[in-house]
Amino acid sequence: MLADFINPYHLQIASFILINILLAISVYVPLSSGQLSLGSAGFMGVGAYTSALLTIHFDLPIFVGILIGASVAGCLGIIIGIPSLRLSGVYLAIATLGLGEVIRVIFVNWESLTKGSIGLTGIPQMGRELLNLARDFGIQPAMFGLRNNQFVYLMVFVILFILVTATIWFVFRQQNSRVGRSFSSIQMDEKAAESMGINITYFKVLSFSQGAFLAGLAGALFAHVMGYISPSDFSYHRAVEILIFTVFGGSEVIIGSIFGAIFLTLIPEVLRFVSEYRYIIYGIMLVILMAVRPQGILDIQLLSKFKRLKRSKGGVR
Amino acid sequence: MLLEQFINGITLGSIYAIVALGFTLVFGVLGIINMAHGEIFMVGAFVGVMTTGVLGWPLWLAFVASIVVTAILGYLLETFTLRPLRGKRGVSHLAPLISTIGVSILLENLSHHLFGAGNKPFRTEFAEMSIEIGSITIYIVQIVIFVISIILMIGLSIWLSKTKAGKALRATAENLETASILGVDTKKIITLTVIIASAMGGIAGILVGMAFNSVSPQMGLAIGLKGLAIIILGGMGNVKGAMVGGLILGLSETFLVAYGDSGYRDAIAFIMIIVILLLRPQGIFGSKIVEGR
Repeated sequence: MLADFINPYHLQIASFILINILLAISVYVPLSSGQLSLGSAGFMGVGAYTSALLTIHFDLPIFVGILIGASVAGCLGIIIGIPSLRLSGVYLAIATLGLGEVIRVIFVNWESLTKGSIGLTGIPQMGRELLNLARDFGIQPAMFGLRNNQFVYLMVFVILFILVTATIWFVFRQQNSRVGRSFSSIQMDEKAAESMGINITYFKVLSFSQGAFLAGLAGALFAHVMGYISPSDFSYHRAVEILIFTVFGGSEVIIGSIFGAIFLTLIPEVLRFVSEYRYIIYGIMLVILMAVRPQGILDIQLLSKFKRLKRSKGGVR
Repeated sequence: MLLEQFINGITLGSIYAIVALGFTLVFGVLGIINMAHGEIFMVGAFVGVMTTGVLGWPLWLAFVASIVVTAILGYLLETFTLRPLRGKRGVSHLAPLISTIGVSILLENLSHHLFGAGNKPFRTEFAEMSIEIGSITIYIVQIVIFVISIILMIGLSIWLSKTKAGKALRATAENLETASILGVDTKKIITLTVIIASAMGGIAGILVGMAFNSVSPQMGLAIGLKGLAIIILGGMGNVKGAMVGGLILGLSETFLVAYGDSGYRDAIAFIMIIVILLLRPQGIFGSKIVEGR
């Protein structure tokens, strides 16, 4: 039976992995046009709080809330992106890190709206709403031989999986389009790109706000999966965590972000038996990785090697 | 009241300035942001707590111990995390950032492990002593902090501008290759810079412990982020900028808490840098940003 294979705990971890993949991509996209943004945690918070507040106070459907949350984050990305054009490299990183901290402090202090550092509770949960929706259509989890909570986690996972796949597909397609090539030419050499007639302002703001939108989307999904958010979910630690997903996996290729998010979300679960020391191990791992392989685990050379390997195997067969 | 707040602000500001100096020295010479500086500072504070509180050493000895420990940490940081990345082909500016973040995670969790998560009080024999001039109360601790910071800043300025090693350091900061062609042992200078920056972090750690009377593993992050904000405010790699930026931040935070909304205290540093980056990206004292740093 299907029910024997579905473990809610595993599905929940899988859902977090999917959200983290979205977050990793939200750093990858601006980075592909040469902009290092550490504001993802802040944008994530904006998306999460917007969607949560809208669905709590105005009874909006969750999907509308998520869409609005992501859009608000994206718009904030445009507003921040335009003045940030003057900054590059480390300066941009610190400014966006600062932005994230300012957003967090606002969440903590705007108590009438955000309930301060206690956080928002009672956010409509996506899984439960989906269960009710399915029931309205006359579908019962029992029809598939599933318990209610199995059904809930499975539905959340499926929805997230579809969204993440769509996002990856979009970013992948974009990379091989005029937009993506403009991004990478800006990353290589801004002046040369400009002299080739590429509108730097437009493309830099585009990639920055795409990153903000994705982070907002991930935040909104996070809020409706968890059902509870607080400002500490969107702190400096989160920003660094997201950055590390991307850089660890390899910031040159999108597969790197995906790999980094999967691997680094699983590592704390796997290292549970040494749970007391796991962050110490994590820190040492980062130092060693940067010393040995500063471009991240996956890079273009490694991927093309894989491809060649696959092709030669296929030839033998 | 106003004068009292002013004194509080100056005290806080001079500590911030010393933290920022550690960042600015490393950035000036290596062009990287040492994200582990805040945690080295925190370790320095814990050494102070342990030596004065548990072992009962006098304060000056605590300073020595803290300087020694943080200097060793600085040396290890240079050898194991920064040196392997230097001069390697294809290393982006992200690599040292991530690498030092790794060190900061390591140090924060290590001290979490060793000293526990809670706040540790920092006892000094003159913590409660104060002088009253008219209606103003000045704590002795504040005077000590202020004097030490001023001595440190003046000492550093003189060392940088007058001594041979200081000049070599500035030459290395100006241009690493040219300095090495002219006979400066840049490798040694870089190591020296990281060690000095870390030791200053250690001193700052004790000063903060004295000022707030509490030390915790999380303090490195909070103060470290402010240090980052200050060097942007004053101009990256600029020594004078770090000092003035620290004082500005200390004063504005104190006055915000006294006359405004204390909840936004931690945001003010970042609001400042966002404004300054938009108006004058090179910082108050910075010269024009060199492309490709």
